[in-house]
Amino acid sequence: MASLSFKNIEKAYGDTLVLKGVNLDVSDGEYLVLVGPSGCGKSTLLRCVAGLEEITAGELYINDRVVNNVSPKARDVAMVFQSYALYPHMTVRENMGFGLRVARLPKDEIKARVDEVAESLELTELLERLPGQLSGGQRQRVAMGRAVVRDPALFLFDEPLSNLDASLRSHMRLELKRLHKRLGATVLHVTHDQVEALTLADRIMVLNEGVVQQIGSPRELFDTPANKFVAAFIGSPSMNFFPSTGADGKAFIDGVEALLPVYVEGAFCLGVRPTDWLIGGELFEGVVEIVESLGAEALLHIELGSYNVVVQVSEPCGFSAGDTISLGLSSFHLFDHETGNRLADGAL
Amino acid sequence: MRKACRRALLTVIAAVQLILAVGFGVFTSGVAYSEEPELVVWHSYRGLEEEAVLESASVWGQQQGVDVRLVPIPFGAFDSKIETSIPRGNGPDIFIGGHSNVAKWVDFSLLQPAINEVGAQRASADEALVVEGVPYGYPLALKTLVLLYNPELIDSPPSTTDELISMASAQTGEGSFGLVYEATAAYYHAPWMHAFGADISSGSATDLDTPEHAAALGFTRRLAADEEIVPLSPSSELMSSLYNAGKAAFIISGPWFVGDVELPIAAVPLPVVSETGEPAKPFLTVEGAFVVADSEQSALAHQFAAWLSGSEGSEIRQRIGLQAVSLASAPPSEDPVVSAVEEQAESAVLMPTDPTIPSVWEALERALRRTVRGAATPTEAAHEASVYLDVFSRPPPTPASPTPYLILMAVVLLGGFWWCFITFRNPHLRSSVHRHRRDYLWVLPATLSLTVLVMLPFVVGACISAFAHQGGEWTFVGLKHFFDILLSRDWPLTSPMSFYYTMIVTVLWTVTNVILHVSIGVAMALLLREPWVRMRGLWRALLIIPWAIPNYITALIWKTMFHVQFGAINSIIGAFVPGDDPVQVEWFGSFATAFSANLITNTWLGFPFMMVVTLGALQSIPRELEEAASIDGASWSERFRFVVWPMLKPALMPALIIGSVWTFNMFNVVYLVSAGEPDGSTEILISEAYRWAFSRGNRYGYAAAYSILIFGLLWFYSRGANKVAGKKVL
Repeated sequence: MASLSFKNIEKAYGDTLVLKGVNLDVSDGEYLVLVGPSGCGKSTLLRCVAGLEEITAGELYINDRVVNNVSPKARDVAMVFQSYALYPHMTVRENMGFGLRVARLPKDEIKARVDEVAESLELTELLERLPGQLSGGQRQRVAMGRAVVRDPALFLFDEPLSNLDASLRSHMRLELKRLHKRLGATVLHVTHDQVEALTLADRIMVLNEGVVQQIGSPRELFDTPANKFVAAFIGSPSMNFFPSTGADGKAFIDGVEALLPVYVEGAFCLGVRPTDWLIGGELFEGVVEIVESLGAEALLHIELGSYNVVVQVSEPCGFSAGDTISLGLSSFHLFDHETGNRLADGAL
Repeated sequence: MRKACRRALLTVIAAVQLILAVGFGVFTSGVAYSEEPELVVWHSYRGLEEEAVLESASVWGQQQGVDVRLVPIPFGAFDSKIETSIPRGNGPDIFIGGHSNVAKWVDFSLLQPAINEVGAQRASADEALVVEGVPYGYPLALKTLVLLYNPELIDSPPSTTDELISMASAQTGEGSFGLVYEATAAYYHAPWMHAFGADISSGSATDLDTPEHAAALGFTRRLAADEEIVPLSPSSELMSSLYNAGKAAFIISGPWFVGDVELPIAAVPLPVVSETGEPAKPFLTVEGAFVVADSEQSALAHQFAAWLSGSEGSEIRQRIGLQAVSLASAPPSEDPVVSAVEEQAESAVLMPTDPTIPSVWEALERALRRTVRGAATPTEAAHEASVYLDVFSRPPPTPASPTPYLILMAVVLLGGFWWCFITFRNPHLRSSVHRHRRDYLWVLPATLSLTVLVMLPFVVGACISAFAHQGGEWTFVGLKHFFDILLSRDWPLTSPMSFYYTMIVTVLWTVTNVILHVSIGVAMALLLREPWVRMRGLWRALLIIPWAIPNYITALIWKTMFHVQFGAINSIIGAFVPGDDPVQVEWFGSFATAFSANLITNTWLGFPFMMVVTLGALQSIPRELEEAASIDGASWSERFRFVVWPMLKPALMPALIIGSVWTFNMFNVVYLVSAGEPDGSTEILISEAYRWAFSRGNRYGYAAAYSILIFGLLWFYSRGANKVAGKKVL
């Protein structure tokens, strides 16, 4: 197992700075998820840990050892790529045993370890197949197996579930959770899927344009987002935002006076999660534009003045398009109007 | 759909019409539309001689109101152009050439007898153009070897060979040579040969295993090797450059040498051979104007040829072209070189016209090379030459009855027709063909081209292999050539002349080349994709250049680079070897070095192809696979061995098979670089076939049998390669 530490990590491609001073400590056995939109630098950071990219500035520690100039094969890490990167000309057994083979382990030991991991991942019957003869989910498990069989200090997952369909993805999320529980390994997992992040992570690091936005547990990120970006990114559907003003001790939300337990003078931004609205409240009145039924829940897309808000309710919701609806708030988040940083959270 | 098909058909028709129009235009551009009759004259003159013949044509043409069109043909291609164009009716009215092939041309019915009388000729030049008592051609000029020398280095020329050797020795040293000539060429050996009382005038019936021939070989060995006054393996270009640099005192060559000379030059007849007291007697070539058999302007052609040979034409050729004209009544030339040629011609020996002479040249030159190299004593070399000549000139196999073969062919053809009939009765096949009939139209031009350019020559070659050719006669011999070759009836299995020896050398040649091509090509491709390599596009372009240059040019350049005394390779090696003595590796003196020279040249030519194929294949290998292997703990070599190479193999296999086939038949490099030296040991099957066809008595049938065997070997190879690849690669 391993601990990981980033000290002011910077990565530049020519004149373009992709990672702008990342600081992070990952404990031994922790499952840390790097999340962010495409191009934010999360995969770059992962590749820096793997040794596939050269770090421009800063120091990277694995188990208290600076590894900036250590080759990938000497870092004792295992990586699962987004495309799985299975060797197409090798069987599943050969793929999984490749790392052990180049480490010059005895053949018997390689076979034993591969068989053991294959059994745990339900790959035993597939060991003699080529990757081209496997389904997406099977390939994903083989890629996992190839990493697991090496028993590395650190696992690196680069969007391992993004190529799977929705149902398989949710199944594999559970499998990953179980695997982590069983191995107790330190994992660095990159994803752009915030649901994946919330379900798998011990802690999440949110990145945007190479800058760390917030590091915290899923609960912390959900309940107390550090800024508007984190608030919008974490949680699905995304948080609703309203420009607001505080004046003379009162808060005005889109011109409507609202009684908030927290007062902010001047312009600010009110954030309300789709689940934090009160149906039948007296704060706002709008018209239901679209009702999205998700089975057990529904999403109401409501025209509220000049805004469109999303409200999540349980089914049967009793609303249909064109209905008038009145809303109140149960919880809210306040953000600075200019910086987007969090000002306060509250409940009514 | 119908519209598309109609459009396609119209496009094909338009393309065919365009091709026909261009062809017609090219054809008719050669057609003269002038009112004057036209005479077409082919020649291989350059420089002053060309100016002279142009002037002659102009003067006579104006006198007679005839348009004389002169067409220069390169000297090396002249004879083959004559022999292939005239029988097809594409030849000239007159051509100017040496007399040595006149007997063959008469055999081939290419010439008309000369109908106009000529004046008395020097050195009996008119007799050179007589075949079976009938004169063919009009003598124009005399060509023979003389002793050229630099008057700035030599005050008074030698009269004997001992004097020549002594004076040449005094001029040799520090990069200069006293005597420069092509010592191992039979033509240049002939003066000494005749002085020792040997000759080759009987053609293939010549007995080369005589004391006279051995003595002549010994003399050449003395001149060219023991006295160390002659550079090794001089080419005509080297001779010119040495002379113009003032580093050659004496040159043995003909009047053709003077055109390339920039320094003053003088000439005398060749000296008397001191050992025998006999004058050196070079071969005499009589240049003549020959009227072509099917000329449509016969009368005019004879008139012009006779005029050219007469006093007016001789005067122009002597004055402007500095030719040693054959007309006896022409005054002696004042030019010293021409004057020497005229004098030498009186004692020169007429070049024999026996069509088997090329076989004698080959045998004799083999003996010369071995003697000069010290690989055999003169007596041994003469004996070996005799053995080779016996084989080269043996009569063709006894004729075979064509009946069994015709029956077999009929059976095969009937079987083929029956198979076609049965196959096309299949309704599914017919329906498929009918459904795709427009698609077949698209592939029709390529199919026709392949049939005409590939299948037809193959079938013709296969048919020729069943015939023996000698002296213009074709005899049906069936499979006897194949038996002669495969049973190695003429040579021991270990002789470089045996099929099996040559086949082993060819296989070795192919294997070593392919290994080097693939290794270097793949290495270069891997290097070129490294991110730290700058200006990748430039490097890629530079590395493709060897492939882009025509390979015969590359071969000729490398040949000069491997020259034992003046080559760049030995100079480069010398820069790394301590000591002042120049490195003089005789690259073509042993099998290992000659093979290596060919190998280096062909590797230079061949690796870019593999590099380009590999570069393309590498694009399709995701970088992530190598990254995954790197993370899995694989070193660079392990990543290449376990990840990259297995993924390159499927793309490289077809290239490897094609490259093997090309290398197997790489005629240019072997023929031009080592030329099979030493003693034919580095010949490959295709170059050996060439020699049987063109320098050993025109044994076309035997050579064709060789070619069919080469095809068979390569066919089995490609089938085997497909099996090894596990699928149909080719």
